[in-house]
Amino acid sequence: MARYGMFIDTKKCVGCYACRVTCQMQNELPVEISYIHFHEQETGIFPNVRNEIIPVQCQHCEDAPCETVCPTKATYTTEDGIVLMDEDKCIGCKYCVVACPYGARTQDHHTGVINKCRFCADLVAEGKQPSCVSTCISDARIFGDLDDPNSEVSKAIVKHNAQPLRPDLGKSKIYYAR
Amino acid sequence: MLDTKLSRRGFIKASTATAALASVGTVGFNQWSNEYVKASENVEVLEIPSTCNGCSSKCGIIGHVKNGRLWKITGHPDHPYAKGKLCARGHGYATLVYSPDRLTEPLKRVGEGKFEPISWDQAYKEIAEKLNQIIKDHGPESISLTEDPRASGKYYSPRFINALGSANYYTHHVVCSNARDAGFLHTVGATSTSADIGSAKYIMFIGRSYGDAIRPSSVKALAEAKDNGAKIVIVDPRLNNTGNLATEWLAIRPGMDLALVLAMSHVLIRENLHDKAFIEKNTVGFEEYAKVLKKYTPEWAEELTGIPADTISRIAIDMGKAKPKALIEQSWRGAFGCNYENSTETGRAVAMFNALLGNLQQKGGSVFSGKPNLGKLDSAKHPSPKEPELPKAGVKEFPLAYESNGVATIVAKEALEGKMKAAIYNHSNAALGYGNPKVMKEALSKLDLVVSIDVQMSETALLSHYILPDVSYIERTEAIEGLKGKTPGMALRQQIVDKVHPQTKPIDVIYKELAEACGVGQYFNFTLDELNEAMLKPTGISYQELKEKGTIMFPDQAITLGEMPKLKTPSGKVEFYSETYKNAGFNPVVEWVEPKVNPDKNSFRLITGKQAIHSHTQTANISILMQITKDYDLERIWINPARAKALGIKEGDMVEVTSSEATSKIRVKVTERIHPEAIFVPSHYGITSKDQKIGYGIGFGYMEHVPFDFEKWSGSGNIHEVIVKVRKVEG
Repeated sequence: MARYGMFIDTKKCVGCYACRVTCQMQNELPVEISYIHFHEQETGIFPNVRNEIIPVQCQHCEDAPCETVCPTKATYTTEDGIVLMDEDKCIGCKYCVVACPYGARTQDHHTGVINKCRFCADLVAEGKQPSCVSTCISDARIFGDLDDPNSEVSKAIVKHNAQPLRPDLGKSKIYYAR
Repeated sequence: MLDTKLSRRGFIKASTATAALASVGTVGFNQWSNEYVKASENVEVLEIPSTCNGCSSKCGIIGHVKNGRLWKITGHPDHPYAKGKLCARGHGYATLVYSPDRLTEPLKRVGEGKFEPISWDQAYKEIAEKLNQIIKDHGPESISLTEDPRASGKYYSPRFINALGSANYYTHHVVCSNARDAGFLHTVGATSTSADIGSAKYIMFIGRSYGDAIRPSSVKALAEAKDNGAKIVIVDPRLNNTGNLATEWLAIRPGMDLALVLAMSHVLIRENLHDKAFIEKNTVGFEEYAKVLKKYTPEWAEELTGIPADTISRIAIDMGKAKPKALIEQSWRGAFGCNYENSTETGRAVAMFNALLGNLQQKGGSVFSGKPNLGKLDSAKHPSPKEPELPKAGVKEFPLAYESNGVATIVAKEALEGKMKAAIYNHSNAALGYGNPKVMKEALSKLDLVVSIDVQMSETALLSHYILPDVSYIERTEAIEGLKGKTPGMALRQQIVDKVHPQTKPIDVIYKELAEACGVGQYFNFTLDELNEAMLKPTGISYQELKEKGTIMFPDQAITLGEMPKLKTPSGKVEFYSETYKNAGFNPVVEWVEPKVNPDKNSFRLITGKQAIHSHTQTANISILMQITKDYDLERIWINPARAKALGIKEGDMVEVTSSEATSKIRVKVTERIHPEAIFVPSHYGITSKDQKIGYGIGFGYMEHVPFDFEKWSGSGNIHEVIVKVRKVEG
């Protein structure tokens, strides 16, 4: 049993959107639906400027508010800490959309089902990396077991003192080096 | 609500599982849908190695095919450019295969923008008759072929036009790297070096952005260099997306890069930090060069570039100390591929700066690539066309340009002059991308025959008399691609899924059949497989093995760093002084050249560049990519806040951009990331072909504002020699 999480280094992210597109294709999403969105933060004044790009997706919170509010238990957390959706149970009520502090849930208007990043649970089950991680061109993303202190992800979090995006909003499992 | 019981995901997965379920008999919907999804989830996924077509890098890919349909693409782990990764274009462009806007049958123009389908036989017959008539009336020098080359094209296209007796083969480089190519060619004997980024300690990029025009392995190497403590300097009027990997941004005035490089070269010599042993052994003309450089002080450059003299000196000195693991990256288009009147000379100065650092063929420096040893067709059985009698059009006017790629816009110039009569465009949207679209349209309209080979109705196709529908790169096998690099290799593009549109054909077949119709079929008396078998012969690797692996590298043929090869310059050495230049009527030593035009306080220079999600204008109609543009308003122009304020322009406002050539309406992004003198417009938009329903009408094409022009040295397009005014408008 693992406790899967992710590390994202925004100092390496070049905002190339490869993660978004590979995720869409992996999950066979319609083009207007994406599980990953991007925030740009520009600081400073010309010519002393920094532009940070922050990719945001489901943070796979330990105490996932989307799971708490789900009236049909369509949202659940696996033994490995991945927050998933049982699409057959979803009634499209959007409680989870409102409850998610990260705006990570999106409705597929073709089916009515609400969905979100699944940490590519099926790939992970095969021992592979989530598609956003395996294609990240600058290796800004690392995925693995947060409970294993020797995993690459744990080591990177410690090395960079990476923090959840909003620690005040719940115990999320994606850590950002910024 | 039944729809919600079955996810879209399930529907797609289940697409061909129905047959298996036919035997289930009468069941309830829930049971049926559960079975339906379950059956499909066990479907076998085929993984077929091939190469990407999202840009000219042609990274190795793996196509994942489910139920005969392309599901997704991943990066080929062995391919040196991909290393298991792909950019957004690489992933998303693959959906082209299922685009509803594909060309599906041969078309003949019957009026402005009007086409009717014809058979292949009729198309070949009519095109051949016209080509032969034009050759008879005006000579083979009046026909031309232009492409954005890919593996098969590189082999077949020049062979086809040569078979007809013409040398007029051109590539897109006139608006890519023609200037850099010429500058490098006459200095180091190669149109380009590659950069050993992973081992470099000090890296300068001039306009080149790894984070915007992506080759995955380059970004990975740069991130590693950063982790290893390398200094990474970006010289660019805008803070491009590589900014996050950089240690310093030099916000240079656009068009002044040459001044910066000359001044840094001046500092290296002044501070005695140039590699004297390397220069002594491997170069000619250093004395003349050093003498000329004396006047290019950092203080002189500060005035032009806006970069403080102290900064110029500091960076040059630090690079001198880090040599030979220091370099100016060679770029593709960057800031000096085709941008300014001084671009060729900038390319030349960059190659010379790297030579001063003695970094050529050194670890962490500039590297001359090794080439794989691939075979050729047996010339006794498969004779090559004989060398055309007349030289390629444009060689006389631009003798310094790299002849193999030529100056593609000479076709338009000669069309306007009535000398060029026919143009074939393969995988090339020259009418929108190579020169001012109004001029290109006028030029192409003057031609007796224009043929386009393409997958979608490009602006060039719209101006063609005949359009021949190519299969997409997902549906075709091509000639083997030799991979140059520190370690050479080879990659095969191969068919991943069955042809979607039965009437489409790959170009090896199109050229062969068209050549037969033209009466020169004897030069195409082989199949693609025979060609590939011949290429493989010296490697000892079977075609089957290459098909299975997709990419194969030759580590035993890797180049040895530290050993300078004999250069292909006339002297065999780095040429700080060029007789070739002199003979062509140019200054044999590099000197400062002013840009052609300069903005005043009421105007801006219009600059352009790539975005990571698009490639030229070929991806504008790919919905999965264009949706990103829409979601993040990426088609907007960039303007500096101080200038915006003075003009009463706020973030998101609609403005009018006016140049000598055109007026465009567009929204603005107000950002500190851009030099006050410049307006940045991404280069992928402004599709005017209504048949490209996704791309049509989004943003504007920067080429609309670029005067039709040739840079004096390399003939390249001078695409940043544009002054614009901006004003707020309603909208």
